[in-house]
Amino acid sequence: MSTTDIHALVGAYALDAVDDIERASFDRHLTDCEICKIELDELRETAARLADSTWSAPPPRMRAEVMAAIGQTRQLAPATPRTVTKAPRWRRYTAAAAAAVVLAGGAGAAAWTIQDQRVRSERTLAEAAQQREARTRSILAAPDLVVRTSPMIGGGKVTVASSALQNAGVVLLGADSAPTDGRVYQLWTIRGKTATSAGVLAAGQDSAVQIVDGLPGSDAFGVTVEPGPAGSATPTLPLVATVQLV
Amino acid sequence: MRPDHLSAVPDPEPAPGPDAADLLRAVARGDEKAFGKLYDLVAPRVYGLVRRVLRDPAQAEEVAQEVLVEVWRTAARFDSARGSATSWVFTIAHRRAVDRVRAEQASADRTMKVGVASVDTPYDAVADEVAGRLERQQVRRCLDDLTDLQRQAVTLAYYQGHSYPEVADLLGTPLPTVKTRMRDGLIRLRDCLGVEVTAR
Repeated sequence: MSTTDIHALVGAYALDAVDDIERASFDRHLTDCEICKIELDELRETAARLADSTWSAPPPRMRAEVMAAIGQTRQLAPATPRTVTKAPRWRRYTAAAAAAVVLAGGAGAAAWTIQDQRVRSERTLAEAAQQREARTRSILAAPDLVVRTSPMIGGGKVTVASSALQNAGVVLLGADSAPTDGRVYQLWTIRGKTATSAGVLAAGQDSAVQIVDGLPGSDAFGVTVEPGPAGSATPTLPLVATVQLV
Repeated sequence: MRPDHLSAVPDPEPAPGPDAADLLRAVARGDEKAFGKLYDLVAPRVYGLVRRVLRDPAQAEEVAQEVLVEVWRTAARFDSARGSATSWVFTIAHRRAVDRVRAEQASADRTMKVGVASVDTPYDAVADEVAGRLERQQVRRCLDDLTDLQRQAVTLAYYQGHSYPEVADLLGTPLPTVKTRMRDGLIRLRDCLGVEVTAR
């Protein structure tokens, strides 16, 4: 995504109508462009005026609850003057590259639902999804983000964006099709000769966004096709995709 | 002559209310009383905005509370060079509401079946209490000045929390056009409302 293309998102960004990856790309774009920041500030100020017409009396108990909550909430210190450590130029475009891959794969920023969560309540799911999104956002915004991709056997692409500073990575899987006959994709981190499961996709699922903690310590990241729905304890070869991390 | 230390009853004609930016600066110093005043100033719009986006009063109350506590927590991060105090608060509120919408979508994988016709659905009887508010009229008038596509693109995103690909889908319009209409629609609104970010 070129600089011109990314700036075209300024309106959508001011309206919070972008996904996390686009937002991260746009934030990077802003660090390079003072005039863009001014345009954004003005459009955001304008968007906030739209709240003028939404006036609605909150339930009276809300005031007491909020006042009680702030009594127990520690405040942040003022931000220290911004010293932006600039990543090398090629790295700054990696988030945009990741965004392009996700858009191409049609995966968007929709986090995949890990199977054992199905039994949990909607509320817990919503909160977990929210946390995952925030985490994804912070990893993709890391100044040392490195993005690597690998094609998948059978069509599609795996992208691994990892940050040593965050000691985590975001894996984007976009396959052309899901495995058939009840089989599923399983993700693995590989260190030396040991493979550790990093998650199992649901049957029929051909795209995923997954956060993998500790990813930068691994040698490689792999994807296999395993019997569903639980996957396997060790990978069934061959790997349908491998991304070398070192 | 009444002794000043007994003057607990507020003057019938108080001086114009404290400026939100001043209140926010006092809040940043841990002033809970100032926070109470700021609450009275912004809570109805925070709650109204979140409720408009989420549609569900119970969830709206929960998210609005989170937003207001977040305002308390991060008040020191407000930078008046980048915009007004109220817009800073509503930006946090909008973002939180949209995050909640997206989280629900991600978890429930809800298919969006919202018709374009619902854009102008009357949203809330309570809001009519302030029907005469000048600002509201001005926002309405300025929204009316936009082209249909600009207005729909902006309001579907802002009031309903849709992403721009969803808006493109709902309007049957190509993605690049939607991005452009969101941008030029906001620029036209900015000029109509006379919005400026001055103190830089």
